[in-house]
Amino acid sequence: MAAYWNRLSLGSRAFLVIVPALLVVGAVLTVGIAVLLGPVLDFLGANMPLVRFVAAATAIIVMTIPIAFVIIFMELKVIAAMNLRVGPDRVGPYGTFMSVVHGLKVLAKEDFTPRGVDVPIFTLAPIVVFASIPLTLLVIPFAPGVFGQDFNIALLYFFAIGGMSVVGLMMAGWASFNKYSLLGALRAAAQAISYELPLTLSVVGIIILAGTMSLNSIVQLQAGSLFDWNIWKQPLGFIIFFIAATAEANRTPLDMTEADQELVAGFATEYSGMRFGFFFFAEYVNVFVVSALSVVLFFGGWNAPFDWPFPVTLSLDPGGLGLGLVFLIALAPVVGTIVLGLPFWLLSSRVSTLRALVIGFILFNLLIVGAFLGWAFVSAEWVSGLVWMIGKTFVFVFIFVQMRGTLPRVRVDQLMSFAWKWLLPAALLNIFVTATAVSILANR
Amino acid sequence: MFRNEFGQVVDLDPVLGYLHRGVEKIAENSDFHHIISQLDPLEYVSSLFCEWSPVMSFEKLLDIQVPRRAEYIRVLTGELNRIASHMLFLGWYALDLGGITPILWSFAERDEIVEMLAAITGAKLLFNYFRIGGVNGDLNHEFMSRLGDWMSRAGAQLDAGMGLLNENEIFVRRARGLGVLDRETALRMCVTGPNLRASGVPFDIRRAHPYSVYPELEFEIPTRREGDSLARYLLRMDEVRQSLRIIDQCLHQMPDGPVMARLPRLLRPRPGRAYSAVEGPRGQYSCYAMSDGTDQPFRLRIHDPSFLHLQLVGLLMPGNLIADTMAIMASLDPVMGGVDK
Repeated sequence: MAAYWNRLSLGSRAFLVIVPALLVVGAVLTVGIAVLLGPVLDFLGANMPLVRFVAAATAIIVMTIPIAFVIIFMELKVIAAMNLRVGPDRVGPYGTFMSVVHGLKVLAKEDFTPRGVDVPIFTLAPIVVFASIPLTLLVIPFAPGVFGQDFNIALLYFFAIGGMSVVGLMMAGWASFNKYSLLGALRAAAQAISYELPLTLSVVGIIILAGTMSLNSIVQLQAGSLFDWNIWKQPLGFIIFFIAATAEANRTPLDMTEADQELVAGFATEYSGMRFGFFFFAEYVNVFVVSALSVVLFFGGWNAPFDWPFPVTLSLDPGGLGLGLVFLIALAPVVGTIVLGLPFWLLSSRVSTLRALVIGFILFNLLIVGAFLGWAFVSAEWVSGLVWMIGKTFVFVFIFVQMRGTLPRVRVDQLMSFAWKWLLPAALLNIFVTATAVSILANR
Repeated sequence: MFRNEFGQVVDLDPVLGYLHRGVEKIAENSDFHHIISQLDPLEYVSSLFCEWSPVMSFEKLLDIQVPRRAEYIRVLTGELNRIASHMLFLGWYALDLGGITPILWSFAERDEIVEMLAAITGAKLLFNYFRIGGVNGDLNHEFMSRLGDWMSRAGAQLDAGMGLLNENEIFVRRARGLGVLDRETALRMCVTGPNLRASGVPFDIRRAHPYSVYPELEFEIPTRREGDSLARYLLRMDEVRQSLRIIDQCLHQMPDGPVMARLPRLLRPRPGRAYSAVEGPRGQYSCYAMSDGTDQPFRLRIHDPSFLHLQLVGLLMPGNLIADTMAIMASLDPVMGGVDK
């Protein structure tokens, strides 16, 4: 038996191991599902909110990774364009996988803990910083029906959880046993406290207008066209919100915590490997979060800026085709590939037949995916809502990235005096004016 | 040495000597031609000026008349090097204030100049181009075509790069009134160059003690009175414009002729002393050469403005925030290679 086994090649050995294992697993799963499916489904059906919450939380945590990668790639490419550089162009088409490689590099690095640090707090700090971000994403409505949780103090919850990341920065700075880390963390704390006030006060006007703190209701109240958005009613509020959000997200020109000319790398000085990666991951996702919140509060959230001018009604009934549907599914790719590849084949003798067919196949697939997405955009409300929401959000992300490429950093005392002498009174004025206007209009 | 209280600088004292290479001692053991290549790395950002003043002092020792075309080429390449150096300053200054884009914009400019100079000198940083009695090689076609191409748009590019900073409220607010160097202190501390002119003293060696063909050229000496970081930055940008003017005039007035004087192969100056000074992008570069009649100088004293300007940090920094130390430092524009010879 052993001699027979030794004569086998590697592939055969793997085959002989994997196939019986799969058979056993399949049998167990079948029996298990047959026995347990009913009770499990009953349990889940009885606890629908819980299921929904777990699913949403999982989706959001998974979602943070591509979001961060896209923003990092944007930052690399947009700032490169502003700097007259090419930017990454080697990894993947146009360097799109560069941020993935960055992430892998950070993962592969040594996770070093210096001597003298407070180990539990040092380890916990990146987790605290990172954990607050998905928690804030949980309340943001991305489309009708696409949100983690909707409750009546969502806005308050957002700012409360958003303030938690400062605790993490403070932990990192204190536990690092390094004067630059501590200075960076103290700056972060001072800055967060100074800017959290105008940030929170700037949205009070919107709360007065909407009469609720639920983000879903705030978005629904802005339904209609471009001119129903809150930006027209709260322009001052938006300006204050945007500046304070820049400070909250630690972006240039208000990125005091990472002033590398002064503080090495701020609170992250002693961190390396994935712990360092967590801080930067959190920073980039945070940019997305504040952009999404500004869209939700001031730019109509998922609402389209204009109504679709011609109503499209699609009445497809694939079942009506009968057996023809099978033929359609079988023939459409072949015909589509040939039809779309033919022009390329005719256009140039340099394009070989095979290449023309490959081009036709890719084009056909793109066409089908586009048609499917277009159909979903027109017919499913949440798809169009998601598209508008993500689109608007990335406009703001782009503005943040562009600001980083343009502006130098302000000094720490200028930062503080600006928050307390200008932003805070302006936010209070905004509340006062809004409240007065609302009460006058209500009494009329 | 650095002390601060609550983020405010109390005392700051530069500690020197980490880059000391003993260039002056090396010069005593090399012959006159060899020394030029040793002096290049002193101030690597504007190395033509490090060559210029020793070469001039050796020419005084040897009583050599430099051909006029060579003098024009020296002025032309020197002014190009001055622009390149000021461009580097612009980029680093913005970078030290946290702006990441200006350095790449100004490097685009600097790169073209460096390529030009590489076309005639063969090197991009340490040119080793000036020779006793002239320059090493005449202007060539590549240099001229690159120069013409660049000159046609240099002013516009400079405006675009400066627009990013000059009209930026954050930048101007940070730089204005920062590290004010008053006239008396500047004179007392032997400050020269743009740092002195930004404090209101119109002293420029090109006009005060004219050398080479500068008396024949038309240019102004920009001066500012404020003496703060912003003034030092703006003054350097004004100087770039004047340098463009000078380059234009050089191209128009340059005569034909040889670029090297006739020299004996072995240089043995008569015993004596010679001093010469040139106005570099950072201030006065000067050289005091003593000869004892052999083919090596008896003593070569090199004066570099970066050394004096670095001493200013102890005077300008106290009372400022840590955040501003780098900004003041960058506005003084010292090059560490020149601080420690």
